[in-house]
Amino acid sequence: MVISQAEIRNNSEVARNIWRMEFYAPEIAREYRGPGQFITLSVINRKENLIRRPMSIAGAKDNIITIIYKIFGSVTQAFKTLNEGDYVEVLGPLGNTFNLEDMDYTPVLVGGGIGLAPILNLAEYFDNVGKRPVTIIGAKTAEEHFVKNYPKDNLYLSTDDGSAGTQGTVIDVLNRINNSVKNPFVYACGPEPMLKALKKYLIGLKVPGQFSVESYMACGFGFCQGCAISNGENYYLVCKDGPVFNYNEVSFD
Amino acid sequence: MTDLKCKIGSVEFNNPLFTASGTFGYGHDYPDMVDVSKIGAIVTKSITLEQRKGNPPPRIVETPCGMLNSIGLANIGLNNFINDVIPKYDSLSTKIIVNIAGSTIDEYIKVLSELESSSTDITGYEINISCPNVDRGGMEFGVDEKLSFELTTELRKLSQKLLIIKLSPNITDITKIALAVERAGADAVSAINTVVGMQIDTNIKKPAIHQTYAGLSGPAIRPIALAMVHKIAQVVHIPIIGIGGISNAQDVIQFLLAGATAVQIGTANFNNPNLYKDVEHNLIKYCKQQSVTHYSKLIGAVELYV
Repeated sequence: MVISQAEIRNNSEVARNIWRMEFYAPEIAREYRGPGQFITLSVINRKENLIRRPMSIAGAKDNIITIIYKIFGSVTQAFKTLNEGDYVEVLGPLGNTFNLEDMDYTPVLVGGGIGLAPILNLAEYFDNVGKRPVTIIGAKTAEEHFVKNYPKDNLYLSTDDGSAGTQGTVIDVLNRINNSVKNPFVYACGPEPMLKALKKYLIGLKVPGQFSVESYMACGFGFCQGCAISNGENYYLVCKDGPVFNYNEVSFD
Repeated sequence: MTDLKCKIGSVEFNNPLFTASGTFGYGHDYPDMVDVSKIGAIVTKSITLEQRKGNPPPRIVETPCGMLNSIGLANIGLNNFINDVIPKYDSLSTKIIVNIAGSTIDEYIKVLSELESSSTDITGYEINISCPNVDRGGMEFGVDEKLSFELTTELRKLSQKLLIIKLSPNITDITKIALAVERAGADAVSAINTVVGMQIDTNIKKPAIHQTYAGLSGPAIRPIALAMVHKIAQVVHIPIIGIGGISNAQDVIQFLLAGATAVQIGTANFNNPNLYKDVEHNLIKYCKQQSVTHYSKLIGAVELYV
């Protein structure tokens, strides 16, 4: 874990209200251990916001870290005004990684809404190791999809309004293609309602998988204890125990 | 050469920059990037007799220049602390002050006496009588002169180690509690704990924190904390450890000038747990500019308008 002032190399809107930022952070890239890990990001000298925003790493290549962020509040509004050559303050890398060791399955990547960053990172990982995953990406409308950046093979889209891909949710897509995927293992990231429904669906099919979950957090390294997520009886910390969990380890109720 | 050696009770610390409870874990497990030798003392997360899983999420939310938290004293409990954490203090290059919380006087007594008999690696105790985020105990001691006197008296009997009482700002007159615990034999007071606050998410019409009310920390509360430290300094003779929104040397100096002997840095650890090095450097720089050879010359040195 390091704190670094990183130079922005690219910051642009890739779909409605969804932005991609690339910054040069060699120290963080050096410590990066794989898809699933995250960084926390702040605007330099923006003193009214003490807490860095956690962002999943969407790519880490040639000392450039990529993140995807949705315009949500005043801090993300401030991120979007930054230009190439400006600096952001970054802390990381933080958290655990997806389990990528057991290769005896077909990876099914499921991303919804803002939970796309780790999915894109996984897609690139599988591409590099020569494995062909199935990718399913859901959004509210076509405008929120940024297809240009998606994997090119085996891609399925869904939208709530049917303006792109299957009308419905990622689960409707899964339902449709389930029989054609041999020995699937699901990697997912997205809003809590999606993960909750997906967990129920996967338990029913006895399909294994891992979810990357989100939470408010003040630090990202276990000090604030703010990012509790229930495992039914007790709490895990999303930052240290996660953000990636086997889906049966975490409760969304 | 500027001397930052800090004396509280009979204990000498390398510098007056401590961590605040609940913002640096138990002190044995911290990111590699942190140079703990630049920290005068680590005050642990509150330890309770039984393990506590803490409050349901959401537990934290950002507020202007601060944050609200309601963690609910989540901690591993006394036994796990003694068995798993204390042995790791051997190799630590700073001092440890264990923060203790309880819901009855008996609970505080049990925790402190067990710690007393189990470890010599502990420098002292900070007694949390001011947690706003638990149903029972915590703050009810901190707002009651008689209870805080009784509790301090009982704990004083059990240990010769440093005994610090952490005060609540959620009270009409903080000096009354400070005087009560001083009379009962406390070596020092630390002030302030978090300020009770609330935020509402207007989209869902729900409180931003599950427990509705929560503790406000960060620079937002610094002026409140500073005034309280200054008021306490006018009436007590024991050292005061200032807490509240401290994130740089200028903040530290303000608390020293107001009458604090040492300070605790809390919320700022979440942003950068390795800030002690810079704070120490800039504190020394200020002392040199002011031709102060020992930092203690700054304590209470604010010059009021007459």
